[in-house]
Amino acid sequence: MTNMRNILLIAAVLVALVAVPPFLGLGWQNALVNILIASLFALAFNLLSGQAGLLSFGHAAYFGMGAFATLHLMLAIEDGLSFPTPLLPLAGAAMGLLIGVVAGFFATMRSGVYFALVTLAIAELFHSLTPHLQGFFGGESGISSMRMPWQGFVFGTVLEVYYLTLFWVVLSVMALWAYTRTPFGRLTLALRDNEQRVRFLGYNAHTSKVIIFAVSAMFSGVAGGLQAISNETANYALFSSHISAQVVLQTFVGGATIFFGPVVGAVSFTLFAYLVSDLTRSWLFYQGLIFVLVMLFAPTGIGGVVQHHLRNVRRDDWLLLAGPYALAATGGVLIAGAVIYLTETVAVLFGEEYAVQIRNAEGSLPAYEMFGAWWEPFGIATWLVPVVLLAAGGAILVKSRGNILKCWEKMGREVGEGAHEPAAPGVAK
Amino acid sequence: MEFVIISALNGVTYGLLLFMVSAGLTLIFGMMGVLNFAHASFYMLGAYIAYAVSSYFGFWTGLIVAPVIVGIVGMLVERYLLPRVHAHGHAHELLLTFGLAMIIEELIKLFFGDFPVNYQMPDNLRFAAFTVFGTDYPFYRLFIGATAITMFALLWFLLARTRIGIVVRAAERLPAMAEALGHNIPVVFMGVFGVGAALAGLAGAVAGAFYPTNPNMGLELGVIVFVVVVVGGLGSLKGSLLASLLIGLFSSYSVGLDWSLAGLFGLVGLGDWAQSIGGLMTLELSSVSATIPFALMLIVLLVRPAGLMGERN
Repeated sequence: MTNMRNILLIAAVLVALVAVPPFLGLGWQNALVNILIASLFALAFNLLSGQAGLLSFGHAAYFGMGAFATLHLMLAIEDGLSFPTPLLPLAGAAMGLLIGVVAGFFATMRSGVYFALVTLAIAELFHSLTPHLQGFFGGESGISSMRMPWQGFVFGTVLEVYYLTLFWVVLSVMALWAYTRTPFGRLTLALRDNEQRVRFLGYNAHTSKVIIFAVSAMFSGVAGGLQAISNETANYALFSSHISAQVVLQTFVGGATIFFGPVVGAVSFTLFAYLVSDLTRSWLFYQGLIFVLVMLFAPTGIGGVVQHHLRNVRRDDWLLLAGPYALAATGGVLIAGAVIYLTETVAVLFGEEYAVQIRNAEGSLPAYEMFGAWWEPFGIATWLVPVVLLAAGGAILVKSRGNILKCWEKMGREVGEGAHEPAAPGVAK
Repeated sequence: MEFVIISALNGVTYGLLLFMVSAGLTLIFGMMGVLNFAHASFYMLGAYIAYAVSSYFGFWTGLIVAPVIVGIVGMLVERYLLPRVHAHGHAHELLLTFGLAMIIEELIKLFFGDFPVNYQMPDNLRFAAFTVFGTDYPFYRLFIGATAITMFALLWFLLARTRIGIVVRAAERLPAMAEALGHNIPVVFMGVFGVGAALAGLAGAVAGAFYPTNPNMGLELGVIVFVVVVVGGLGSLKGSLLASLLIGLFSSYSVGLDWSLAGLFGLVGLGDWAQSIGGLMTLELSSVSATIPFALMLIVLLVRPAGLMGERN
């Protein structure tokens, strides 16, 4: 029954992904390409960090190498090599696999914090070395190429690139999903949960981990290749810690413990960046704040919270839960409002434009505009708004937290470590 | 000769600065097993707080206030944030500090803007300590080094010669036993975290006036500090002193040398062949000076993960 429903859901998403984009604007089509690439990258990363329990802080290396390999193949096609353009990501996959085997062989010799540090060091090695290598990496400016037409496909429009990306992402996600159903996929989980026991059962833990690492790097390479096709350029910034950090953030906010969790994270963060980065310059701050709040209050991520409810779907008494959940959401919204208000106020008051206004106003602090209204820096209303929001939101949250706990107890089940709480932004305050 | 002496002086002062930041990190790791990704952000926070305070109350006030505030921030993080994720394992602690590092960086951009700020040393410290080979050597570099040495004399005295030090060392070795003997171990942990953070804050306050103070300084120093603590051995103070000086000296010498692998092959008559290969062969040491520390870190992690002075784990 649930299986049937899942299949229908996935089919509906696929149909929407195929049918809707032609009616969207150029900006949205581009955003969708980025979302697809980010989703694949996060899934590939999660194979290693979520399923095998090996936290990598340097996955940008394999993403970047995939991109460079694909661009070199594109350059070769420009020079007359006959290679079908739609198969370009294979270059990224091959390069990802190759680098993944080498890097994975060394990195998986260590575990825990030391593994994380090895991956970090490898990515930094790439990042610091590539600007000085002219041949393969094109120095600081990087390399660029053009998508060549193939068999009537021109690959000139974003829409064509989108469908190419969609094809490869769906194919890769299916492969990654199939991987988790194989015995080796089960072994991956076992390595995370109890490596010692896996060894006792007669498996070679190191070889298995190298294979997992390489597969993860291979799909990261595909994602990098797709990025290269979409952007037609790549430079050493692809190896920066920023890229590695983003994928960690997306994966863990989405939820590393379930298969589609990273996709949730990748979609929401990429959308968030696309929608919010135009509105405010502080969007990276909000992003970091959301990540920390999820880590503190819902360590299994958004996906984990959703899964917690779905797993107990029959026993969930929605009528009982709806009230306290709505209350908690109200509290969360109030506190989020206060945090946004304060952040934007700081952004205005400490901004450069305001500094100029202070100079013009000769000493006194002039009123400023925010959210379509004018505020006095020392006005009572200006500071009453966030204080009231914070107090009301905090009180509501504390109250509803107790109520939700009672509801879960009433439903006759022990409450799993905080995962019952909605990951409402602002709960920490 | 001039190059050798000036580079040695610069390298030692830079190394001592690295030590100030890495000491806290390695102490915290040795005691709690938490690799604090936000540690270099404490360094940056120190520089910015010192900048903000010193522009109203003078340089010396800033130098005192910054480490105090950063230390308090560190203690709050240890007391209220880390225990919440502790149950989910070290990976989550790592991720939490990683997120905190991002938040601190973005907060600093919010308050001070995404560009370097004009944090300067006071004029009465801006003079030449001595003249070597016709160049004036800035006194402030010596001041940075002296601050670090003073700090460490104090820290060493505290750890090795006082009762507090004995408790702290006991808490590091066998926390459960020390607790059973009636010592308040959570407070010790909080104190160590706070002192470690305050040291990083002090380093930021002192160094920010000499090196550029910008929102990237945390990230830039952060990776080098990781190299230092890994090479020195996670948890070993002596090791990180050695590694700091090593990395400091190395980076100050390497920027001035144009050695390359091709040059090395040239010594045995294979120079032309190596030149023709290009790529890695012709890279000069000065241009890969940022890379070598990571290579070193990688080698240490793979060959001897306990580092130069750390105990085998």
